[in-house]
Amino acid sequence: MNEKPHTVKSYEDQLKKLNNDLVEMGANCETALGNAMKAISTNDHNLADDVINSDMVIDNFESQIENEVVNLIALRQPMAVDLRETVAALKMSSDLERIGDLAKNIAKRTKLINTHLPNNLIEAMSRICILVQKQLKIVLDSYLSRSSDVAQTVWESDEQVDDLTNKCMEEVISLIKSNMENIEYGSHLLFVTKNLERIGDHTTNIAEQVFYLVTGDYLEGERPKGSDSELTK
Amino acid sequence: MNKIEAKNVDVYYGAKQALFDINMDIEANKVTALIGPSGCGKSTFLRCLNRMNDVIDICKVSGVVKINDYDINQKDTDVVRLREKVGMIFQKPNPFPKTIYENISYGPEIHGIAQSKSEMDNIVEESLRKAALWEEVKDRIHEPGTGLSGGQQQRLCIARTISIKPEVILMDEPCSALDPIATAQIEELIDELRKEHTIIIVTHSMSQAARVSQNTGFFHLGKLIEVGSTDKIFKNPTQQQTQDYITGRFG
Repeated sequence: MNEKPHTVKSYEDQLKKLNNDLVEMGANCETALGNAMKAISTNDHNLADDVINSDMVIDNFESQIENEVVNLIALRQPMAVDLRETVAALKMSSDLERIGDLAKNIAKRTKLINTHLPNNLIEAMSRICILVQKQLKIVLDSYLSRSSDVAQTVWESDEQVDDLTNKCMEEVISLIKSNMENIEYGSHLLFVTKNLERIGDHTTNIAEQVFYLVTGDYLEGERPKGSDSELTK
Repeated sequence: MNKIEAKNVDVYYGAKQALFDINMDIEANKVTALIGPSGCGKSTFLRCLNRMNDVIDICKVSGVVKINDYDINQKDTDVVRLREKVGMIFQKPNPFPKTIYENISYGPEIHGIAQSKSEMDNIVEESLRKAALWEEVKDRIHEPGTGLSGGQQQRLCIARTISIKPEVILMDEPCSALDPIATAQIEELIDELRKEHTIIIVTHSMSQAARVSQNTGFFHLGKLIEVGSTDKIFKNPTQQQTQDYITGRFG
């Protein structure tokens, strides 16, 4: 439905602000994820510190959005699409906050690993990260354009992330097996890989919320999963 | 199960058409809310359900309104009997200038429902209890009904209506003159009453419609734009006009 502006302008402004804050929060998460991946690939501790410090901004967005949502419910009693906008914003901000935390965790592990990683591992992780970044960008765009179809394509493509995660984990395990001295940083890499996969899951959650917001319906059925590995369960 | 079925209902006030081809089923023992901007026809439609439009000379109603599968618009319908079965509560509480007791006993008396004084006493007490007013007035039921607060007066009117055991209760903005506490008491009462009655309520308060009803119909410019479960209407209406109205994007 194409929405006309509200008769009460201040209500319209509050809903617009909620939308804008969520978009900005999403942009911050995209930056954090990109920088976290760059930091671990290049062993760049300054960039890792940037990611760690900027997580506070993402956390603040979550508190602010929660506050705006509570105010809208208490003071405006949103209905229909406005109600769905409000509820979806609350849930999406929670997923974005977790994405920020997971990016921050990758940055923290960068400092603990403190070494230049073998190229094959950087490539394996980058493949997941590029896909997850792409999905995150698409889902945030689908939120902006209120496109349920685009959101659904993100939801349906989560299995690719799972498959890449399994392959990356197998490579990390091979690295550990080849030399047990690699076990410490190898363990960190398993967590980093899992973090990327979890970011993919949160992105899929956001896709579900965008679909609900636009259509008022829930995406039906089980979310598509990749190959049935114990590693991504 | 449908208690009321309206088919192809048109209403004219003189040359001006007020309702256009209204088709609506109303479920038994549910609360159906009618919402829409002023002048949309929701009260006109409500008055079609107990032929209250008959009292307006220039008003002409066509179409079928079936209650319990009987078309009430038939010429030989006894409108007094009809209004016994279909009671009505108005925007402003309108107790008779009589005692609380007499306000309730009047209906059963003229309809010959009570055979004795003790039977009448029972009807008065039961009606006041069902209207959640008994505890507040039991020590002064021979005092004037007009001495009660606005909320109490409206509950007195509800007690008066239910004293003759109507099957359907029509409410035309029953809380618009009441404060939030009295409103909450009436809303609680509506929920209780639907166990024994079918209720149709016209309200300007969308939050009230959302709180008290199971089904909602949205009227605009004399047309029924959308009717459905209240849950669906307020979360995800089908029609753009409904959405514009309930989200405050109208006009």
